[in-house]
Parts: sequence; C-alpha cells; structure tokens
Amino acid sequence: MSAPSTTEHQVRTIEAGSPPERFARGWHCLGLAESFKDGAPHEIEAFGTKLVVFQAQDTGRLHVLDAYCPHMGGNLARGTVKGDTVVCPFHGWLWKGDGRCAGIPYAHRVPPRARTRAWTTLEENKQLFVWYDPEGAPPPEGVTIPRIEGAFSDEWSDWTWHSLRIDGSHCREIVDNVVDMAHFFYVHNSFPTYFKNVFEGHIATQYQATAPRGDMTAAETVSAQGDTRSVASYHGPSYMVVYLDMDVDGTTVETAMINCHYPVSADSFVLMYGALVKKLPGMTDEMAAESAAMAAQGLAAGFEQDIEIWKNKTRIDNPLLCDQDGPVYQLRRWYEQFYVDVADVRPEMTDRFEFEIDTERAVKVWQAEVDANLARRARAARGEA
Amino acid sequence: MRPVTCEECGTGVLVEKRSLPHTSVQWTGPTDRCPQLAGGGARIEGCTRLRASIEREVREGRLTVAHDD
Repeated sequence: MSAPSTTEHQVRTIEAGSPPERFARGWHCLGLAESFKDGAPHEIEAFGTKLVVFQAQDTGRLHVLDAYCPHMGGNLARGTVKGDTVVCPFHGWLWKGDGRCAGIPYAHRVPPRARTRAWTTLEENKQLFVWYDPEGAPPPEGVTIPRIEGAFSDEWSDWTWHSLRIDGSHCREIVDNVVDMAHFFYVHNSFPTYFKNVFEGHIATQYQATAPRGDMTAAETVSAQGDTRSVASYHGPSYMVVYLDMDVDGTTVETAMINCHYPVSADSFVLMYGALVKKLPGMTDEMAAESAAMAAQGLAAGFEQDIEIWKNKTRIDNPLLCDQDGPVYQLRRWYEQFYVDVADVRPEMTDRFEFEIDTERAVKVWQAEVDANLARRARAARGEA
Repeated sequence: MRPVTCEECGTGVLVEKRSLPHTSVQWTGPTDRCPQLAGGGARIEGCTRLRASIEREVREGRLTVAHDD
C-alpha cells in the first residue's frame, strides 16, 4: 500500500448539499387556464401540499384553495362545483373562491372562523398562475408575468401544452440550464455561437445564437435546419419565456415558448412546456398548429435529454468550472433570492450582472467535431471504412 | 474585477475580462441612471455606451485582459 500522493490530497470532493426545505417565492404557472374550465374541481399537488383549482360558475373566474377541507380534512378536489363554490365530498361544506365558507347544509350557522386558504391567482397568456410566499405577503408591484402578444393574436397558433413530473431532482437543475452553454452542444446537439446572460431583479435572461448542426437530423436537434437567435427569460423562479427565431429556407420562423415548473416536494417538481408559432404568409391554422406541434416536439426531445442527465447525476453545490463555462455561481446567487425571507434578500442577489462567454474556442472545436462527423458519414456513404 | 465608469451616465460598475470576447459586468447599485437600461432590466441585453467605455479602458490599458486565477 502506498501513501496517498499529493495529488490525491487535492482531489475535488463534490458537496452535494441538500435541497432547500422551503419553496421558491413567486408566481408559478399551473397550466393552461382552459384546462381548468370544465366545471369540475382539479387537484394540484404542489408546495408540499395539495391545492384545488375550480372555476366559479357565476363569475367564470378560476380560484385556488387548499385542497384539504379545514372541517375534517376531506379533499375538495374530489368534490363538485356548485355556483361559485366548491363542495366538499365528505360533509357538503361549501367554500367560496375567497376562502370563506358559504354554507353548511346541515348546520344552523357557519362557524365565524370557517375560512380556508385562498391562493392569489393570475390569468395571463391563457395560463393560470398562483402566487407562493411562505411569509404570506402579496406579490410586490412589478413582480408579474409579462404578456405574450402571440397568445392573443390570430396571427399565431394556439398553445401546445405538455406536463410531466420529475421525481428525485430539485428544480434548481433546470434553472441551472440558463447559464450552461456547453450542455446545449453535448446534451441537445445544438451549436451555440453566441451566449450571454443578464440577471437583474427577479429576471434572469439568456441571449443565445446557434448555428445549424449539419451532422444532425431535425429529429436529433431543433436547431438542425438553420441559424437561431433566442432570448429566454425567467420571470421569477419558475416561469421562462423563450422567444426563438429560426432561419429556414430563407424565411424566419418566430416561436414563443414556455418552460415552467412548480415544486411538488423538496425533490420533485412538475415541468411544463408549450409553444406558439407565428403563422407564415399563406399558412392555414392547421399548418400553424402542426408547426407549433413540431416546435413542442423539439422541446419535448430537449427535456427528455435533460431528464436523462438529471436522473443519473448528483446534486452539486460546488461545481468545478472552467474558464469558458457560464456564471453558475452568480445564477445560483440570483436564484437564492426566492428561497430567503424578503428581509434577507441581499443586493448582490438582485443587482444587475452581465456575463458574455467567449465562444471562440468552443465554436472552433465544435465545428471540427461536426466536420469530422460529416466526413465520416460521407466515407460511409461511399462504402469506405 | 476592476472598476469602470460609464462615460455616458457616470455609473460605476465592476468589470472583468478573461479574454477580448469575454466580459463580465457587476453592478453595485440600481441601473436607473443608465438611459439605455433604466426600466428594462434583464430584458435589455446591455448598454452600448457602457460597452464602449469598457472597450476604451481595454484599449488604453487601464483594464487588463487576463484569467482571474
């Protein structure tokens, strides 16, 4: 047995840490608003508990309450909607969207303290949002969800929408992608040529341009066909709006995409994504829908690639970065603002920070890899070894 | 990171350049004095005047381009 060498003493040890017990303060998208407007209550497992979403029949408004009835703990999501109330399946108590008990059919009167938690909601971009704050404060002015014009325009397709639950990972994994230029090449078969991040206040943005991957098919990467330019911003901890322009056959295809999530527990979350595509001249609604579905397929393929990584990776609090990596630590510093009390948000978490990556070397190396793949394919096509 | 003052609005920021194409800029206060960034936040990619100020600092040798290790 030889003594450990000096180098062994200096081996980098991963600090996995543990995911935060609390959930991020902010607006969280729960899905397309329309999907909750079928007259039935809907159960959402989120923030370590269960919520019920229902539409008041009289006003048409969507409401979110704690799912468990404060009477005896019945699950309101298994009940029914009656007028502007949701009715508990256990004892028939009726709850209004503001959390007040509107009646108990078998009782003389409603106890004065009969009130459950009503969550602050917002409908924007034809999606439903709920405000989460462990301190119980309402959303501050200016912390809101930006309007996506395409969601309300006949010149754009309708939303595609997909939802999947990820177990065994904290949602920080997906947020990390904001700064992770190299993973777009190695995981998503994309080819970043320009990459810049800007964090300020509650918004974190990624500016990216990609070149086509001539060695990939459209099924292998969304960016196979043409150059892309994208601006992707997290508005708060969980709702990312991506505007992506792609040059295809001399035209520019404009896409707006959503990549959002809400936490279920400390190590599971529900990931949702959707796409809108601007109709090209002469495009019918059906063609636009097909185009949006294709964009959504590209997103789906991308997330599957991410999930494969997450399932097999470890949580890491001390990433070992190289000089061409993006600003992971500064992104996490920005992200931390959502996990501390408002009084503990430090200026460095919200002060503007910009980071433009030098892509020169990466582009050279990746181009060589693409060229080698193409050459190999050409040799194979000619029947050479 | 080295301090750089914007020639347009006088805001002081901290800048690091690991290579000519790379730039890292840390504000230490609000951006509301910057005519290009005020109100836009992270939805604006950057201020062209601040960029010009940084490039001038590099050109005139006051900001060195180097790895930080």
